[in-house]
Amino acid sequence: MQSVVIAGYARSPFHLANKGALARVRPDDLAAQVIRGLISKTGVEPSDIEDIIVGCAFPEGEQGLNVARLIGLLADLPISVGGMTVNRFCGSSMSAIHTAMGQIAIGAGEVFVCAGVESMSRVPMMGFNPLPNPALAKKSAAYMGMGETAENVATKYQIARAEQEALAVSSQHKAAAARDAGKLVDEIVPIETKGGTVSEDGTIRGETTAEGLAGLKPAFDANGSVTAGTSSPLTDGASAVLVTTEEYARAHGLPILARIKAVAISGCAPETMGLGPILSSQKALERAGISAGDLDVVELNEAFASQALACIKDLGLDTAKVNIDGGAIAIGHPLGATGARIVGKAASLLKREGGKYALASQCIGGGQGIATVLEAVE
Amino acid sequence: MSRPIQKVCVIGAGTMGAGIAAQVANAGVPVLLLDIVPKEGSNRNAVAEGAVAKMLKTEPAPFMSKAAAKLVETGNIEDHLEKVAECDWVIEAVIERLDIKQGLYARLEAVKREGTAVSSNTSTIPLAQLVDGRSDAFKRDFLITHFFNPPRYMRLLEIVTGPDTDAGVAAKVEQFADVAMGKTVVKAKDTPGFIANRIGTYWIQLGLNAAFDQGLSVELADAVAGKPMGAPKTGIFGLVDLVGIDLMPHLQASLTSTLPKDDPYHAIARSHPLIEKMIADGYTGRKGKGGFYRLNKDMGRRKETIDLATGEYREMIRAAGPSGKAARGDLRALVETKGPIGDYAWAVLGGTLAYAASLIPSAADDVVAIDDAMKLGYNWKAGPFEMIDRLGAAWLAQRLESEGKPVPEILKVAGDRPFYRVESGVRQYLTLNGTYDDIKRPQGVLSLADVKLAGKPLLKNASAALWDIGDGVTALEFTGKMNALDGEVMKLIVEAIPLVASKYKAMVVYTDADNFSAGANLGLAIFAVNIAAWSEIEKLVAGGQMAYKGLKYAPFPVVGAPAGMALGGGCEILLHCDAIQAHAELYMGLVECGVGLVPGWGGNGEMLDRWQQSKLMPKGPMPAVAKVFETVSTASVSKSAAQAKEMLFLRADDAITMNRDRLLFDAKQKALSLVDGYKPREAPHFRLPGESGRTALGMAADGFHKQGKATDYDMVVSDALATVLTGGDADLVDVVSEQELLKLEREAFMRLVREPRSIARVEHMLETGKPLRN
Repeated sequence: MQSVVIAGYARSPFHLANKGALARVRPDDLAAQVIRGLISKTGVEPSDIEDIIVGCAFPEGEQGLNVARLIGLLADLPISVGGMTVNRFCGSSMSAIHTAMGQIAIGAGEVFVCAGVESMSRVPMMGFNPLPNPALAKKSAAYMGMGETAENVATKYQIARAEQEALAVSSQHKAAAARDAGKLVDEIVPIETKGGTVSEDGTIRGETTAEGLAGLKPAFDANGSVTAGTSSPLTDGASAVLVTTEEYARAHGLPILARIKAVAISGCAPETMGLGPILSSQKALERAGISAGDLDVVELNEAFASQALACIKDLGLDTAKVNIDGGAIAIGHPLGATGARIVGKAASLLKREGGKYALASQCIGGGQGIATVLEAVE
Repeated sequence: MSRPIQKVCVIGAGTMGAGIAAQVANAGVPVLLLDIVPKEGSNRNAVAEGAVAKMLKTEPAPFMSKAAAKLVETGNIEDHLEKVAECDWVIEAVIERLDIKQGLYARLEAVKREGTAVSSNTSTIPLAQLVDGRSDAFKRDFLITHFFNPPRYMRLLEIVTGPDTDAGVAAKVEQFADVAMGKTVVKAKDTPGFIANRIGTYWIQLGLNAAFDQGLSVELADAVAGKPMGAPKTGIFGLVDLVGIDLMPHLQASLTSTLPKDDPYHAIARSHPLIEKMIADGYTGRKGKGGFYRLNKDMGRRKETIDLATGEYREMIRAAGPSGKAARGDLRALVETKGPIGDYAWAVLGGTLAYAASLIPSAADDVVAIDDAMKLGYNWKAGPFEMIDRLGAAWLAQRLESEGKPVPEILKVAGDRPFYRVESGVRQYLTLNGTYDDIKRPQGVLSLADVKLAGKPLLKNASAALWDIGDGVTALEFTGKMNALDGEVMKLIVEAIPLVASKYKAMVVYTDADNFSAGANLGLAIFAVNIAAWSEIEKLVAGGQMAYKGLKYAPFPVVGAPAGMALGGGCEILLHCDAIQAHAELYMGLVECGVGLVPGWGGNGEMLDRWQQSKLMPKGPMPAVAKVFETVSTASVSKSAAQAKEMLFLRADDAITMNRDRLLFDAKQKALSLVDGYKPREAPHFRLPGESGRTALGMAADGFHKQGKATDYDMVVSDALATVLTGGDADLVDVVSEQELLKLEREAFMRLVREPRSIARVEHMLETGKPLRN
């Protein structure tokens, strides 16, 4: 099989939905700016791009109408470049990467922009017209609220509230430290808005303390343990990675971050969807022929602290290697954009921190997991 | 006369100044709010900005909408005073110190345009002293405008003009305060305390003195001086707690230093050692550690009262206050009650009424001004002279004389005649020269009470009446207790429609009462439930639906004119009107879920129609349904007419009247404006999501239930509501008619009304006035 690499990663700053600096920015404009940033940063020849594959969890309204094509036009890419929107909820833009890899494997192109976008300010979770199937609603937890699934995981794995809060504090502190050390600057594309240029994340709360979090009320279940402080916030943001053959990247002098070694999808019970990464990561690691102990970098999406902790435990991950620059509780989780962010981030970290293997994995509403194993390129 | 008022400046961002600025903004007029530059910090506008920020968090809210808050521009008097040149009225509301006010006026004079009114919100300083040293031009533009706290909610504005004040300037301010800010203007003389506070302070002082002297408990004193006298139930001690006990010595000092030597106030102005001690120890009322009443948090929020004899707090008792006629507004019975109740009532009421009577003509020209001031400034149900009429002027004069007290001149003039009478259908008042004058309503004011004095209703039954208010317009009035709605109201509507259609042009739905209607008569409903008269209940529901739709599709325009509360069925009748002319203080909502029911008189369809037509809504079957579900399932009530518009209870072209007195006139004009070429609205039809939508709403409700924000029974009620709003068994491709939706509404109502937990909610509401969270 052809070697496929991540040859560039960029994202917008992430901001809290509704009150943040990106609330008034259309998601298609947001993603277009990020893609333009990625192209100028990598120096890839735009006319070589086969397709733009955009992940989006609620592709309607301003992020509807096959937004990928519209983003390509907004970004002034050559008319010859295609556009496809994919939806696997939170796994959407990681699926975009997997799809590109598959396209490359069948000889359907060499260069793909795999992006993700979500304006949780402008398109509500569940969309504008939620119309669940009543019969399915009765027999399955397919439509269960995400917060409730996080409570279920906390109960099943007996993860105490304090434990969740410790993870949240650590995530916030790591993200703030990375930001303060200038480690996030390279990945962020400043976004032009009506209110001026936005070039930093608005989500990170470096001042978070365990005591502060302990004072919050449960967010989803009056008797539960999950709070707003131990959940990823509603976020606006976009991300993109450049996926090419290794051969193309080398021939054109693109900055190779990592090689995609293996990928996997798995299903799990919807009521504990947060456990999704366990099986998908195990499958991907097996396909890569390595074990968790071989990993040097892990990007594990923190949809909720409870599910992240459960996954760390079952996968036997070394917490020192997980979310080195902070996770989604601090950075934010713009649903469709997270997959490309954590793959791009894992690839960048592998380069920055050194080491051989990286894993990016996340849980998906409705009960799925998705995972990508990356390998350093000499 | 210079240009009308288009921009206002308020100087002084304390509670009063900021509140006045908010009310100007509520009127939709830009306002500049200035205060001093703070001694610390780098933000030179911090004081005014802080005041606006604080108001956005205050309850009851000074602002009627968030949009209003944006009309307030903040600044400071060092950097921004020259902006006064852009303003047509400057209201000074700075600290009550003559030197500071005079200094500010000197600076204002240098920057203001000629003809820009300047008024002081002083409550104590005479006008003559304020303008001392100013130019003639400044004096022409100067007056006193004394607002009451909180300025949004208190309707009284006392205006005092000086000998040099230009009549045009005063008229311009008066017009703006009345029409735009919604205040009832009472013209007062330049005397200390003006009218309301002068009489009010006297009343409070008498009440405190008599309670100490006669050894009454605080609770009993307030049980006598509150409701039985037509004052708010806080009585006197409760009121002092509210305004701040520490304010009392200031008021006393101010009045004793400024009132004429022979004023009766000097004789009663006393300080009480207990009150002095309370102030010194920080027990200044609700804002302090406690007052005459307090909640003891160390004892499980126990309600406590101070013992006036010992100065110690003890558990609050329920005082056995006046009973029988004396409790129900018969003032003669009250003051003649044997024992401490009658003694206290006479000491307070007799003294206050005699004092008020002595102030004509020194503080006010006529009895109407004094009565208005006390009703609007102290929320008394009746003014002093209206109360004297109930006691009998001659009786009062005689009792005062028998106790060796002076009899005020106006009482002698009255003799055995009343201060108010109705002559040829017109209400008149007694003047000092012994003749009666008509009470004249300003242009643009129409009172249903006046209409009623002048004629007979076109239709009337136990719960409603129809009046001819002139120019071909009729007024439908609710007359039941709390304006509750019942079968009689519906019957009258059905009778009124052909009558109005054949002989009149339009109808206004209006009542003079404080509250438009709190909804259906729940007492009657529970009675029907108790005797299991299900078919009667269903008839009432169907009858209401029919009557309201009858109004909606009548061949003449119907304009709703609500003020105060318009809840449940009271909200629903308004939703069926062609247009609404609302008083700015409108508390409107479909609150049926709170008593375990769903709207049953067409409210669901009317709200769905409004939201489906809203251009703000995304396409598809769910957004409007979800919005109405959210509003109705949580029994949300608007906190102003502006907010009712945001909630789509009011349509975009419905209008708002700021001054309560002008509501009926404005509504009548609105109705007349719709007469030419009038066509009733076409019946809406709905595309509804059916069971899928109901599932989605159920999931949302479930989330609230898990969060502890919705009770078990809320889930049952909200499911019934969801069934109606999603069209029951409707499929996305079906068209649901208005009639089909009414049927769903009826069925849901009838299902719920039989549920014991709904009945428990209704009973609890009737007993306590509060919702039961079962």
